[in-house]
Amino acid sequence: MASDRVAERRKEFKQYKEDVKERGKPFYPFAMFHDTVMSLVVVCVIVGLAIVWKYSTPGNHIGIEAGWLGKLYDAPADPGTINFVPRPDWYFYFLFYLLRIFKWPATVVIGTVGLPTVLLVILIAVPFIDTRSERRLSRRPVAIVASILVVVSMGVLTYKGATAKEALGSELLAQVPHWAAQQGFQNNQQAIEGAKLFAVSGCLNCHTYLGNGGHNLGAPDLTAEGAKNKGIDFQVRHLENPAAVNPGSPMPSFAGLGTERLTQLAHFLEASKGPK
Amino acid sequence: MATTRKPTRSQQIQQTIMYPIDWLEERSGLVGGLKYFLFRKVPGDTDWWQTLGSATLTAFLVQALTGVILAMYYKPDPTIDPATGLPVAYESMLHITNDLWAGWLVRGMHRWGASVFIILLFMHMGRVFLFGAYKYPRELNWIVGVLLLLMGLLEGFTGYLLPWDQTSYWATVVGVNLNGTAPFLGPFLAQFLNGGTYINADTLSRFYSIHMLLIPGAIFALIGLHLYLVIRLGVTSPPWSKEAAGTGPLDGHAVSPNGRTGLMRFSPRRGK
Repeated sequence: MASDRVAERRKEFKQYKEDVKERGKPFYPFAMFHDTVMSLVVVCVIVGLAIVWKYSTPGNHIGIEAGWLGKLYDAPADPGTINFVPRPDWYFYFLFYLLRIFKWPATVVIGTVGLPTVLLVILIAVPFIDTRSERRLSRRPVAIVASILVVVSMGVLTYKGATAKEALGSELLAQVPHWAAQQGFQNNQQAIEGAKLFAVSGCLNCHTYLGNGGHNLGAPDLTAEGAKNKGIDFQVRHLENPAAVNPGSPMPSFAGLGTERLTQLAHFLEASKGPK
Repeated sequence: MATTRKPTRSQQIQQTIMYPIDWLEERSGLVGGLKYFLFRKVPGDTDWWQTLGSATLTAFLVQALTGVILAMYYKPDPTIDPATGLPVAYESMLHITNDLWAGWLVRGMHRWGASVFIILLFMHMGRVFLFGAYKYPRELNWIVGVLLLLMGLLEGFTGYLLPWDQTSYWATVVGVNLNGTAPFLGPFLAQFLNGGTYINADTLSRFYSIHMLLIPGAIFALIGLHLYLVIRLGVTSPPWSKEAAGTGPLDGHAVSPNGRTGLMRFSPRRGK
């Protein structure tokens, strides 16, 4: 009865147009008054946020210390840096956290591309999935449940992303002797140097190692990386350019550390055969 | 030719004021268009719910205005200034934030206006969903709205890099790498965003151009289409309203369960 439905909803829309014409109110001044007040509120909120951002920054409100709304700016971008936290703006936290759920390499594409694409397609398709003209909430249980699920899951993922613990280089450095004992590389000086680099270079912002670290962006656990016996050469080449060795890897290049330090890191990774 | 009386002073003033307006109307019809926009009827139960769309538009206009001002001082150049040892882009951001009069305010409004814009986009979308306002004949406007949401998020992604500090740089490195993981198109997308295989000196100006020319242009065009469709198709009444437009004339005793309300009237046939 597709044509019936088409005729029916055309009739309903015609009725809508007639009702608006007969007992509607002019946009100006009625609706426009509401719109203007709301717009003023929006502008005030934006200005207010800017003021709080600036004047809650400690000291003379200049510099890289965080106020209530975070830093005014961070240290300048440095491609050769060894410690960074890849963190998006808050409205991407849900995607950012989604990537913790999926593991590299098998399913990470589901988190980065698959789910967002599917969600976008569903969002665009909403009016074609729900073609009834019913608008009352009590008669749209599926729509209501679906919207509650979306709001709750987005909220939880955003909250989880916002409160995700970041690994601190100084705390991790203290773990190095412990790691060496567990993995049995106490006498491998190269590996110990590598472990120190590993602790302070931000590796654990994404990877995990013996229960430490962030597990972000689908990065694998490295506790038993050495058990794969990929070799020092492979590890160095991978650190220099992850995507060249491991196509599609989102890991950034660490070539900025230099070959000597990358070799130490490679020794550390190869010495990590998993706890004894 | 007897009755050409001399116009009074007030008539003269009125004519003088109306002359340019009439001139414009005769040649463009814009005045009539504006009158139609302002005095068109909206459903009688239109209230605060329906202000989220115009609030989103306001947030976007704040972004456009503050963005234009920031563009007057911002330099999308990642090379190191030998005088200070800082990247030129970072330096210009510091200059805006710390030196310019009210520069911190303009940058702060742009920075936080982005968040407000995104929140309002989601709230507006939630309202439209709740009201069932995406239904016939407004499907196309829903799609335009989803595209606007996508453009808003892309603005957030490309704008995040511009301060050229550690946070923005590394988030973008990883973000672009993530784009690169997409099957088929991914590597091309990453290459397009980076302006090369890796993030490099051209990446920043590329992001800047996308952020302040390409996407805002698309947003302006989509907003135009969005508003045109809103004006053409009308605003939706709250679904719980007793006098929702579409329920037929209200004649005092009309709102009975199976009598006057249009929604109910068609419900018996809907199951088939």
